[in-house]
Amino acid sequence: MIDSMSTGEVANAERFERAGITADAGTAARTREEFTHWLHQFFDLDPVRTIDVVLAINEALANSAEFAYLLATRPGTMDVQARYDTRDARLTVTISDNGLWRGATADNRTRGRGIPLMRALSDRAMVETSSSGTRVCLEWSDVHQV
Amino acid sequence: MLKYQREVGPDSGAVPTQAPNCVITERWVDRTAVVSASGDIDMLSAPALEESIRTALDKDPVALVVDFSAVEFLASAGMGVLVAVHDDAAPSVGFCVVADGPATSRPLQLVGIADIVQVYPTLDEALAALNA
Repeated sequence: MIDSMSTGEVANAERFERAGITADAGTAARTREEFTHWLHQFFDLDPVRTIDVVLAINEALANSAEFAYLLATRPGTMDVQARYDTRDARLTVTISDNGLWRGATADNRTRGRGIPLMRALSDRAMVETSSSGTRVCLEWSDVHQV
Repeated sequence: MLKYQREVGPDSGAVPTQAPNCVITERWVDRTAVVSASGDIDMLSAPALEESIRTALDKDPVALVVDFSAVEFLASAGMGVLVAVHDDAAPSVGFCVVADGPATSRPLQLVGIADIVQVYPTLDEALAALNA
């Protein structure tokens, strides 16, 4: 059953999508809340694992919101796509933007923990940056549905 | 005993946080300032958290406790505030954090912040340690 909210928005037992959303802090927070609701609705995750997933995707959203469009005059967009594979019991979440991560260097003690957090909180984390944007792919194995 | 309380939130007259999910309060236990937050600490609310902490530091406390007991979500933006403030406050002002559970103390440990800043599971333990 497809449950669409609007163009570019999907949330059903196997998919959660938000396409072309504004890459800013408010949208990141709102998306995080919607994603959390989706997790609670369809998956059987304990509180620790739920936080792990939500925090990891939040860090990816926050990085896009903060760094992807620093040199632009207005925020760009980002895409979130979560897929659940019932055979592998694997949850895969991809967060991507079309910007350039300027300033995203861990050059002092107060910054730069987003990527280490993503790696620590997920079973697998891939961060690909190119001149056309950044793509973060996070995986969790042994995830079961309600 | 000095008692001072200021609320920073959507309904207060103080600086708006632009983050309705986070309420920050300041109170005092003798000369120790306790800055408490509730709700979500993310890139939206972290600047207000930092401002509240620095405001408290400007009042020359002997020590400052950041209490995350009522925090439900703590992002790296909030963790960075802790390190920045710790580096500015220490060693002249005692500084520690109260955090317990998967949303707060676990991420702090995972990225090694618990090695830089003292973290206690309850406010009572934090205050006892600062007064020891």
